[in-house]
Amino acid sequence: MGADVSAPDSGGHKKGPGVKKQARKDTKVDMTPMVDLGFLLITFFVFTTTMSTPKAFKLNVPDDSAKDEEKSEAKASGAFTVLLSKENHVYYYEGQLAPDGSNFKSSNFKDIRAELLRKKANTPEKDLVVIIKPNETAVYKNVVDMLDEMTITEIKRYAVVDIFPGEVDLIKATEAGAPAAPGGK
Amino acid sequence: MSKLNKIPKKSTWVDMTAFVDVAFLILSFFMLATKFKPPEVVKIDNPKSVSSENQPEKDVFKVSFDKEGRVFVSYSTDQDGKEKAKLTAEVLSRQKGLGLTPADIATFVKFSVGGIGVPVEKLKGFLQLSDEEYKSFKQPGIPVQDTLNNQLNDYLNALLTGTGGRKPENVMLNGDNGTTYPYFKNVLAAFKKNGIFSFKLITSLEGVPEGTPLYKTRKEQSKK
Repeated sequence: MGADVSAPDSGGHKKGPGVKKQARKDTKVDMTPMVDLGFLLITFFVFTTTMSTPKAFKLNVPDDSAKDEEKSEAKASGAFTVLLSKENHVYYYEGQLAPDGSNFKSSNFKDIRAELLRKKANTPEKDLVVIIKPNETAVYKNVVDMLDEMTITEIKRYAVVDIFPGEVDLIKATEAGAPAAPGGK
Repeated sequence: MSKLNKIPKKSTWVDMTAFVDVAFLILSFFMLATKFKPPEVVKIDNPKSVSSENQPEKDVFKVSFDKEGRVFVSYSTDQDGKEKAKLTAEVLSRQKGLGLTPADIATFVKFSVGGIGVPVEKLKGFLQLSDEEYKSFKQPGIPVQDTLNNQLNDYLNALLTGTGGRKPENVMLNGDNGTTYPYFKNVLAAFKKNGIFSFKLITSLEGVPEGTPLYKTRKEQSKK
């Protein structure tokens, strides 16, 4: 400690050469208020922070008014139609729907990927097209999950199309007797 | 008691330095990592996707729909966003004869950050609300259910007319997990009708499942 500083020392006698060193003062500081403040700020930031920054998922939709010649014609053999319904139900059929509905199958969000990959492996790439048809009760999450599934399986051609009344009836008939599907992914 | 008093009193002092160090380390982490949530009047639970592209922040026009199917439009806070909000309000006022004053239009720009979800005919009354009232006011949403009266179409049309056909750089769609498909379809219909064919859905990040084609592609890319 500097000799000139007039610290409030207990003795009060003169300092100088030969005088014994001042008694060392305790350098401990009470940190409790600082800790209090620190944690207050931490709590504040923890509550206000948004950890996961939202991501952008690109989506391009076709122009419905485009001329018919410009529209690419889908081969029935390469078509794979996925139908989405309430409570994460997924149905699918390959090619065209049989009049008796025999190729109409029920699935869920876990198993549909295997089906898509199987279809992808068995079909020439230029013919493969996945048609997604959500019905009135399907939720936005289902649609995005399905679009995401296209990215995951790297299927380049897919379309979201309005559902046909015949398909709606078929879903209704299936759901009438089927147990609820397990939740989405 | 006399016996107890003989035990030398130990100091209760604890060295808190290490504690303070940790506390401030965590504090600085949160301060740097934090990004304040923009004020939103509506709670939206986004679906997940494997897309890893970050959400853009400049020149954003955002359409949100919540669980109940209420549709909102909002603009980013940067100059482009404000400009476009202003143009939308001006054109909408002119086209629909709303008679918005410059003060109303300024309010529109202010509210547009958090989201505007009222039918066109109620816009004038809505813009008379104070900031406090705006926060507590339950907006009915822009009607989209009816194809003939899809008012999102009016908002989009006003925006594009105002900019002379120049589309916002980032058209975002912020949808809730639980919204049923028809609302999404109607929003898409309004987009298509106004020539917006490319836009981005706001999603939260999800890992790519192992063994899938995309997983393999991403792995190869990361090797390079």
